[in-house]
Amino acid sequence: MRQRVTRRQFLRTAGAGISLGLAGGAVSVGLGGCAPAMKGDFMPKGGRRVVVVGGGWGGATAAKYVRLLDPGIEVVLLEPNREFVSCPFSNLVLSGVRKLDSITFRYDGLQKRGVKILHEAAAAIEPDRRRVRVGEGYLEYDRLVVSPGIEFQMEQIQGLAESQDKVLHAWKAGPQTAQLAAQLESMADGGVFVLTVPPVAYRCPPGPYERICQVAWYLKTKKPRAKLIVLDANQNIVSKTGLFRAAWRDYPNIDYRPSSKVIAVDPSTREVRTEFDREKYDVVNVIPPQRAGTIAVQADLVGADKRWCEVNHVTYESVKAKNVHVIGDSTTGLPVPKSGNIANAMGKVCATAIVHLLGGKPAPELPPGNTCYSWVNDREAIAVVNAYRIEGGKVVQIEQKLTPAQSALVGHRAVGWAQSIWHDMLA
Amino acid sequence: MMARGSVLVVVVGLLVAGAVGGAGAAGPLDHPGFAKALTCSACHGVAGNSKSSAMPILAGMSAAYFTRQIEAYAKGDRPSPEMEPYAKYVLQAGVAEVAGYFAAQKMEPTPIPASAAAAARGKVAAAACAICHGQDGKGDAAKLIPSLAGQAPGYLREQMILFKQDTRNPKDAALKAMKALMRTIPDPGIEDLAAYYSSLR
Repeated sequence: MRQRVTRRQFLRTAGAGISLGLAGGAVSVGLGGCAPAMKGDFMPKGGRRVVVVGGGWGGATAAKYVRLLDPGIEVVLLEPNREFVSCPFSNLVLSGVRKLDSITFRYDGLQKRGVKILHEAAAAIEPDRRRVRVGEGYLEYDRLVVSPGIEFQMEQIQGLAESQDKVLHAWKAGPQTAQLAAQLESMADGGVFVLTVPPVAYRCPPGPYERICQVAWYLKTKKPRAKLIVLDANQNIVSKTGLFRAAWRDYPNIDYRPSSKVIAVDPSTREVRTEFDREKYDVVNVIPPQRAGTIAVQADLVGADKRWCEVNHVTYESVKAKNVHVIGDSTTGLPVPKSGNIANAMGKVCATAIVHLLGGKPAPELPPGNTCYSWVNDREAIAVVNAYRIEGGKVVQIEQKLTPAQSALVGHRAVGWAQSIWHDMLA
Repeated sequence: MMARGSVLVVVVGLLVAGAVGGAGAAGPLDHPGFAKALTCSACHGVAGNSKSSAMPILAGMSAAYFTRQIEAYAKGDRPSPEMEPYAKYVLQAGVAEVAGYFAAQKMEPTPIPASAAAAARGKVAAAACAICHGQDGKGDAAKLIPSLAGQAPGYLREQMILFKQDTRNPKDAALKAMKALMRTIPDPGIEDLAAYYSSLR
């Protein structure tokens, strides 16, 4: 999948905002991605430097905005993947409404802003020495932004860790998205698709329910005798509850079972087990329980729960490590969902805070915002929007609003949102 | 010698000022509205220059019109589940600064291309619109009539549909004539008008 380089969609929508790079696109800076060359202080720091770990919704935005706000600050982005694949809209790939190409973008736009991209993973963080270990060497920083997304707790479900080639999550958009779409497509009419929802907190609260809509829509359209069994660890639909319930009236093929936590999966017998039941499947999609990205856990940025990272609500500085900022799905303690839009907002606020702090000024008090669309069929969508303010140094919600009903106009705005926010992150 | 020394001091001073940079350097942070409008760029683009079809361009929008819309969104007079919470945020953060920021930005017309045939048909149909929005489509800021020129076509289309359905500012008497006019235009005509106004520069 990574070889399928396509910027057509982005260019078509983004137009003049993005100029074409030459073939090859994002290249590793200085080192040609050659790990053995990364020894010692392999990129000595000149002036002020921000290092960003992770080029997703939070990290890519933070890297861009530090450069936008102050081109005098050097920004190095560590991201192993050469392309960005959007989780929002990836459920539409499962139903065949969209191609993976249309949600896959390169990092050229960030390079044009002067962000130095190393397609490498951060190996460790050393806050006391203000450096990040990469390969056999290290990078020094003045401020570090950690935006590692989520990692799966495979060990929570018996049999899952050893079945990674067969039991897919498709909860990090990319190769697994295409593989799960292929499994769904090759399932026989009359087959059973089992989808399991993890207990909160997990990435994208409405995401599993949007996926249920997309799989049910696909089955209804293409395999009318097939069935979708949903095993939800939660007691009810976690987000946009009434709107999803209304959407599901069009899908009698959904068998939704709340309070059904999956504890085991066995690909040899094609069976999942909950605390009380067993279910046979033809295709299974297990969305596993989650925690902060591994680097955040290894660096001990997580709290007592060993899962999520507590941060200052104005600067996103970790409560556990100075000069280390954590943004996106890895964070906890703010009254916000783990959404792409929130990660994007945190990236901008964090970048603004860092530029102020490096300039010797206090960070302004800026809240995030959240706009979140979900597709309920091939053309209609629903949305939830949250606005916030800062009160006594903490993020508090001003208001949450839902669209009154699903509609094609909301779907039209969903496309506008995606095109705009991909541009805000990457162009 | 003295003269040369002075020049050197000035040059060094400039270099230092440039190198120190940070939040004090000339840049987007200089406008007090920039930081308050940070959250808006997710949909409306950096500096309010949306590149998508559905999301309106705010750059260059008259401050008075922007403020009126934020107030209408917040009160629910212009119903929008997306904008109502954000409008309340903008009012709390300081609408004057945010409005002033967007008004001061140079508008980049939408990059979404319009079909030449649709734009040509739209131009003919736009004669009635021009009475208020002007021959150039730039509106009349003093009368709170917005510019349509170069605006995102999907946004123009959606607003015309909402006017036609009377779901945009349903209680606003000042928009009665606008809505009556929109009801006379069939849906394909709305597409043509959107194409025409989005193509104006």
